[in-house]
Amino acid sequence: MSYVISIDTGGTFTDVVIRGPDGKPAIGKALTTHERVFSGMREAVAAAAAEKKMTLDELLANTELLVYGTTRATNAIVTKRVAKTAFVTTAGFPDTLVLREAGKFDPHDFRTPYPDPYIPRRCTFEIVERMSSEGTVSVPFDEAQARRSVAQIVERGFEAVAVCFLWSVANGAHELAFARLLDEMAPGTPYTLSHQLIPIVREYRRASATAIDASLKPLMQEHFRQLETDLRGAGYKGEILVSITSGGCTNIEAVVAKPIYTIGSGPAMAPISSRAYAKQESYGDNVIVCDAGGTTFDVGLVRDGRLTFTRDTWLGPHYVGDLMAISAVDMRSVGAGGGSIAWIDEGGLMHVGPQSAGSEPGPACYGRGGELPTVSDAAAVLGYFDPSFFLGGRMTLDVAAARRAIETVSSKIGLGAEECAYRILTLASELMIRAIGDITINEGLNPRESSIVAGGGAAGLNIMLIAKELGCNRVILPKTASALSAAGMQYANIVSEEAASLVTSTQAFNFEGVHAVLCRLKAKLDAFAIQLDQSVNHRIEFITEARYAGQIWELDTPVPASGLETLADVEALKEEFHRVHERLFAVRDEGSPVEFINWKARLSIPLGSDPASSPEVEICSADPEFCAGLAKRDCFFGGASPVATPILKPRDMFPGLRIQGPAIIEEPTTTLVVYPGMSATISGAGNYLLEI
Amino acid sequence: MEQPVRSSFDPFLTAIIANRIDSIIREMTNAMLRSARSAVINSARDFSCSIVTSDNRLLASAEGLPIHIFGSDLLTLAMQKFHGHDLREGDCYLHNDPYNGNSHPADHAFLVPVFIDGEHMFTAVAKAHQADIGNALPTTYMAGARDQYAEGALIFPAVRVQRDYKMNEDIVRMCRARIRVPNQWYGDFLAGIGSARIAERRLKELCGKYGKEQIRAFLNDWLDYSEELMVKALQQMPRTRLSNSGRHDALPGLLPDGVPLRVSLEIDPEAAMIEIDLTDNVDSLPVGLNLSLASASAAAVAGVFNSMSIRVPRNDGSFRRIRLRFREGSILGKPRFPHSCSVSTTNIADRVVNVVQSAFARVSAEWGLAEGGVGVGLGFAVVSGDDHRYGGASYVNQICIGSAGGPGSPSADGWPTYSIPVVAGLMYRDSIEIDELKHPFEVEYCRLKSGTGGAGEFRGGPALEMSITPKDSPIEFIWNCDGLETAPKGVRGGRDGITSQHWLVSADGAAEELPSMVVRTLQEGERLLGWHTSGGGYGNPLARDVELVRKDVLEGYETIERARDLYGVVFTGSIANDSLAVDEIGTALMRGIG
Repeated sequence: MSYVISIDTGGTFTDVVIRGPDGKPAIGKALTTHERVFSGMREAVAAAAAEKKMTLDELLANTELLVYGTTRATNAIVTKRVAKTAFVTTAGFPDTLVLREAGKFDPHDFRTPYPDPYIPRRCTFEIVERMSSEGTVSVPFDEAQARRSVAQIVERGFEAVAVCFLWSVANGAHELAFARLLDEMAPGTPYTLSHQLIPIVREYRRASATAIDASLKPLMQEHFRQLETDLRGAGYKGEILVSITSGGCTNIEAVVAKPIYTIGSGPAMAPISSRAYAKQESYGDNVIVCDAGGTTFDVGLVRDGRLTFTRDTWLGPHYVGDLMAISAVDMRSVGAGGGSIAWIDEGGLMHVGPQSAGSEPGPACYGRGGELPTVSDAAAVLGYFDPSFFLGGRMTLDVAAARRAIETVSSKIGLGAEECAYRILTLASELMIRAIGDITINEGLNPRESSIVAGGGAAGLNIMLIAKELGCNRVILPKTASALSAAGMQYANIVSEEAASLVTSTQAFNFEGVHAVLCRLKAKLDAFAIQLDQSVNHRIEFITEARYAGQIWELDTPVPASGLETLADVEALKEEFHRVHERLFAVRDEGSPVEFINWKARLSIPLGSDPASSPEVEICSADPEFCAGLAKRDCFFGGASPVATPILKPRDMFPGLRIQGPAIIEEPTTTLVVYPGMSATISGAGNYLLEI
Repeated sequence: MEQPVRSSFDPFLTAIIANRIDSIIREMTNAMLRSARSAVINSARDFSCSIVTSDNRLLASAEGLPIHIFGSDLLTLAMQKFHGHDLREGDCYLHNDPYNGNSHPADHAFLVPVFIDGEHMFTAVAKAHQADIGNALPTTYMAGARDQYAEGALIFPAVRVQRDYKMNEDIVRMCRARIRVPNQWYGDFLAGIGSARIAERRLKELCGKYGKEQIRAFLNDWLDYSEELMVKALQQMPRTRLSNSGRHDALPGLLPDGVPLRVSLEIDPEAAMIEIDLTDNVDSLPVGLNLSLASASAAAVAGVFNSMSIRVPRNDGSFRRIRLRFREGSILGKPRFPHSCSVSTTNIADRVVNVVQSAFARVSAEWGLAEGGVGVGLGFAVVSGDDHRYGGASYVNQICIGSAGGPGSPSADGWPTYSIPVVAGLMYRDSIEIDELKHPFEVEYCRLKSGTGGAGEFRGGPALEMSITPKDSPIEFIWNCDGLETAPKGVRGGRDGITSQHWLVSADGAAEELPSMVVRTLQEGERLLGWHTSGGGYGNPLARDVELVRKDVLEGYETIERARDLYGVVFTGSIANDSLAVDEIGTALMRGIG
């Protein structure tokens, strides 16, 4: 009884990682089966079990924990299949979801239509009531009018209800009053109350999160119920947890109550595995996490061994999409990948993306009729792929088609196809470097002093070019690179977060109020831990969202472990805030009071153990004799003439082997390009350590 | 076209370095946004960052407000004029003088000359609208000011505030002694300098990486490339010569007839040049509405860029193809000193943007826009007073919860988050809760008003209406709203937007209609209410897609009556039971007649 199974169900593939008594992970992959997710899951788990020479039934019988992550919620939103949801708000403020927080990118773009709100205006109900910013009643709750609204909600067949009143964070009584009417008149209809889901000041953020959450409830409740039934039906008796975007996992009951937390839960796991690998290889606790898929490049951070969080995650484009607003692991996605298309604009400048060939027709080299030059075509022309063994032999590449596509660009700029292809790959890397730049700048992290952990099927192509530009010379491509998220679940903690709004300042610190808030948050989390039978093992940390007086945007500031009982404690907290502010903005304003807006408590219960440190191995450079025995392929690395490049397969390699570039390493699910002048070493744990 | 474009031009490296420059501006922007103190900067985003070359060519300005950006070169020109031989590394200059290249005194620009190996190569410019600048009244918009002296602002014509990276504390003390809520000002001051210094650091790294010569080549290539795109765009336009007019409303007691505006537009596709002639306008006036050279240029150029259907980088390269003509002594661009330019970035500037973009709409159906909503009314009021909740602490701030409706365009309806023409939808809205936390008032409603967007094939954005009442302590509200008399115009058959209106309702319920310029102190029990203008429509409303009309009715943006009378669309069924459907025959009949 000692296996842990983790499953990441993506839009296309279901990735599985299993780890048993020996601590060594095995991977399984299968296509995701959307109509019944368990079918694909069963296939992928069976594949991983086979790696360990077990049957599915044997594995399930010997598994005590299964962690499941799903993109179900995200897919439902993208494909507009969420519940028909009513938005209930304070009378006079029907347009909170329409107006959002305004802003746009291009001041001269007047040709893009204004995006629809998450919930249409015609599904919005205004309730006569109003709380003040001090939490007093400005307009009493008009029960008769509210009853009429609920009656309409029932009559019009709404499947879920999102309730967000102004200043419900200061006083939730009116939201609760409305909830009582729903319980009475529309029993069983799922609803979300904003002050319970996300007790933060700023009505749009609360309303948006509440609307998204409510709209997911019917669907996700059904999904998890089905999954649990299927798993139990297959004879699984262990514990089932679900990964969430707070960077950990929780039980089904908790996630069904707040399904918004499943959005982005897959990418949120990547920093966890990255942290584990950096630790395994003793590469420090500042890590840049890169997950490169076919169409997107996701980037995140581990800072001082901690995950980084944001409330600014948008579904869809910034400003005009819908804001999640919950505190989520900060993973940012840019549209850059193998499918990104290269083109020359009217002024003669070269671009890569944002258009993508997607998977249909896909890059020209896929031979499915695509004619536009993509990043994958560039890699094919450069000789980085084995045309007859692409994706582990699942596809044959049409290099001639790739070349024809690249020539449509190279001829315009007077370069040979290979030189042009290298520039396309470099420009694609530039987009990724920019994404890394944005997130590290935001966190005040210096890439030169960090490590990179790269995953995803496409990362090996250019991660060394990226690392070189960033000046970062500690890079890991883990053995499980193609399943970074599923691997992350292996090392995830059970997490839960509770938050409350209480505004106070260093000038007149509300000791009593803060004490009460922190106690209340702690009590809620303690209760949750007890319910999980984990009352001994858990840790709770407190964080406040603080700012200098007059600022608008708060920064997460850890509350000292000693609590906040004395003036000295407040001084310590203030110093902590100065430190955070200085790190992020290079300025500290000693003279200014610090305001505290929101308070958060984060519970964390460790589940599995981190991987053991990579065993010491003797490093041995590949000798000439070894190299002479390897297959070679003509590859290009920026110049016009080919370089005969050794090709390595997993069977050629062993821990401690150091491979000097140029070389291509062909793993079944990823290809690693070792550029001239760089090298890759296989660590004792089997990870690739890249030296720039 | 299978031939190389330009022999020395590196399409790849130019793209890479342009991307790096863009990242630097984004980093400046992020630093300013997140560390500034006043809501007008950190919440409403009323600031801009740009990089100018040492020979005063605007190089880059990602996401900057148009009204701030086109003119960064005028700021650095003044810095060089006053300090030419004495510029050195570690300097920082504060500039807000509208007679030396700034937009208006409320915009404090921080200029940091960036030296590479001892050579001045760039100037980083961070410009931010201040919450207060020490004017005679607690507002940064002094519409009634007879001249610059009556405004009362401290004026800094590119004054050095740092040397060798050390602050000139004299200047800080001067500002602290004069500017209301000095700590807030000081926080913004540090944020502005910090933002420009970040650019300095990054530009040095960039030059270190690529070498000065490579960067110098890039500067020329990038600007030439931008010019090339502009040329290509202009070559597609028909040869045009036309004039267009507009008007700013009357200001009671000051400008009884309002301000008529005239713009002549000439497009020469062969020469690939646009000329915008603003000379035929009235002399500068003894009010705060005169447009500085920076503001008038910015407004006219914004009108051009708004009108284009393809994206062209905004920099000196593309600007070379736009010739602007001003007249000495005119209210537009060359007012006579000491006339006041206090309100130079909004009211008349908004009208100039509108007149230019609606002139382009007359050129062809591919170009131009309707007029966008104008007027900074109640939703943009500057509020001040003492807050009883915080021990009587003083505050002064501009709130940003309003918006005029955006203009209809050749392919989209106007946005409800447009704000005003010079802002073009870039600014953030305040959270109402945050505003109530920071100021002792309560917002009673804030919503889009049905049936108000200028009708058109693509309609204007609807008007936003609101009501605000003080809690306990009195609050002074100040605004100068245009658009009470002269509505934003529709183009190419589109209808005009609606005008703005405001009232003060006393405790006994009596409503007093307010003029365009408002300086009123409200007591508990009183309320201010009203609405901003909506946007003008683009194209014939009878050509609007019937499904869009149906959606507008369902969503409450339009009424059934207006759908019939203006759009010629008739329905069957009802909204209440989700059965609203277009009556095809009735609609065809209506539209046929219409």
